[in-house]
Amino acid sequence: MEAVFSGLATGFAVALDPFNLFLVLAGCFAGTLIGALPGLGPINGVAILLPIAYGLGFGPESALILLAGIYYGAEYGGRISSILLNVPGDASAVMTTLDGNPLARSGNAGRALSLSAVASFVGGTFAVILMSLFAPVIAAFAVTFSPANYVALMVFAFASLASLVGKSTVKTLLGATIGLMLATIGIDANTGIPRFTFGIPDILAGIDFLIVVVGLFGMAELLTLVEHQVSGKLKALPVDKSFVKWADLVVCKWTIIRSSIIGFFIGILPGTGASVASAVAYGTEKRIADKDKTFGTGDIRGLAAPEAANNAAAGGAMVPMLTLGIPGSGTTAILLGALLMFNIQPGPMMFAQRPDVAWGLIASMYIGNVALLVINLPLVGLFARMLTIPQHYLTPLIAILAFIGIYTIVGNPFDLLLITLLGVFGWFLRKLDFSLAPIILGFVLGSLFENNLRRALSISGGDWSILWMDYKSIVLYVLALAVVIAPIWLGMRARKMEGDATHEKV
Amino acid sequence: MVDRIFAGVLLIVTLAYAVIAFTAISAPFQYDPLGPESWPQILSIVAIACLLVILWKPDATKMDMTRKAWFRLAATVIMLAAYAELYEPLGFILSTILFGTSLCAMLGAGLVRSLVFGATAGVAGYLLCVSLLDLNLPDGELIEMLLEPSVQEGAS
Repeated sequence: MEAVFSGLATGFAVALDPFNLFLVLAGCFAGTLIGALPGLGPINGVAILLPIAYGLGFGPESALILLAGIYYGAEYGGRISSILLNVPGDASAVMTTLDGNPLARSGNAGRALSLSAVASFVGGTFAVILMSLFAPVIAAFAVTFSPANYVALMVFAFASLASLVGKSTVKTLLGATIGLMLATIGIDANTGIPRFTFGIPDILAGIDFLIVVVGLFGMAELLTLVEHQVSGKLKALPVDKSFVKWADLVVCKWTIIRSSIIGFFIGILPGTGASVASAVAYGTEKRIADKDKTFGTGDIRGLAAPEAANNAAAGGAMVPMLTLGIPGSGTTAILLGALLMFNIQPGPMMFAQRPDVAWGLIASMYIGNVALLVINLPLVGLFARMLTIPQHYLTPLIAILAFIGIYTIVGNPFDLLLITLLGVFGWFLRKLDFSLAPIILGFVLGSLFENNLRRALSISGGDWSILWMDYKSIVLYVLALAVVIAPIWLGMRARKMEGDATHEKV
Repeated sequence: MVDRIFAGVLLIVTLAYAVIAFTAISAPFQYDPLGPESWPQILSIVAIACLLVILWKPDATKMDMTRKAWFRLAATVIMLAAYAELYEPLGFILSTILFGTSLCAMLGAGLVRSLVFGATAGVAGYLLCVSLLDLNLPDGELIEMLLEPSVQEGAS
């Protein structure tokens, strides 16, 4: 407990520095804007702005605070386009459209927006509080992990990724493997042997993380926007004067608390982010609270549940990233890559070696959540106006920003072509129902996975049984198995129950 | 069908990766039992297994795209490539004006509005990034030669 308080004191000292405070606010504001733009979600926003944030030459803690602000700001802003346009910014906002849009159409747009802002705030704050309590404990435990344990942890991470993310398990697994394979390109750190470089000097040090991220996320997103081009403006519902009432909050109080808990713990699972969390929270609430079958027709609880959950998950996803060095979602994978660019290895040692970065980030999230609530309640009209920015201005702007970012960092026009090519590849993958998050997770975790495997086998002298010799590894393998089997089992049970229900009708 | 074609192309790439992993990579001396080749070998086997499953049981059958959408995409990719090629020779301002205007016009804005957008993005973007944020953007080789040749070394 003492560690938590002294850590938080360090953190707030960093986060309350006027410059960092400004970055928190700027990040939250930019994030909300990005989230509010239809079609752009947190992951694309962070991907496009990462090179620019890096190029500004801030210290690692400042750059990370800015990027994290954009991240949860975008989770926050995603609800605006869901509610007013019925167009979710990304997968995690899909559930918000179900009850949010009907509410807005029945003349309660202001009430829906303010209620979801409060739900998001509670979810986000809840997650940060749990995070500051859990993170030091997990980090202290993770210090004792051996290389073999880390291998088991990776297996668990990829297992939960494969079973919970994306439509097809095989495609998710293949995506992660493609990421891992991309990470093997370059000089092998242990022996100095170049692998898959074909004598091209540019890739001896490996493929640049920024290029992969901006190409696969930024440029692929741009091509998707061009593909779905709708000419003219989207019709946004107007924001009216209605506002959240105290009675609404009383009705939603248990929903918000339950969804925050669900969101946080699903966020912690490696690989599963806000989209899974909001879907599970909505489903659970529907089962528990939907007695009059009002969910989906503009029930305020159906709006509060996914919003509380996806913001709690955004915080939860930070926990494994900071404490274990294993990101909990695609966006945190990008943040992890950002830390690596600053030569900071996230993981258990970070809390001991760079407390300013780890705790500064956590403290900035407390401030950011409050700031988001404050800027969201009065300024929602301004953000709503952003929805009507025509796509034909937005799309070229994404390309211009991506080019500025890459050129600033890498300074090589060849890389501009490379991100365009990666964008085409990413667009194809998306078109074929691959999700892109596993690729970036695989890419970021590739060297960690390989090095730990090789270290473990060096310790045992080539005996593979070291991988399952101790209880921590075994527990992780069992968890991995459970994560794979549980959804299949639940699916079968649900189908069986459905079968029973139809029987009863007959 | 599309799934199969895509998986087939990936399979060829992966097979090439596997061949390299199994034959070409080896260290003259190594301290760990796995060496640099084992990990890529494991990965290539997993990837080939996944690809065979997709080839055997593809799930996306059609691309579901209109001819117009294909045309728009191809044009966008060509514009992006041209933008990348012209970035250094023309400099940020000119290339951005060209790219911004043409993409904006293709996506359905009027010509005047596109021009205004392109010009604003080029000039304001340059001023914002270079003077305010202190980022490094190309001034353009042509313009540099006209103005002061000495800046070129600093920019590259």
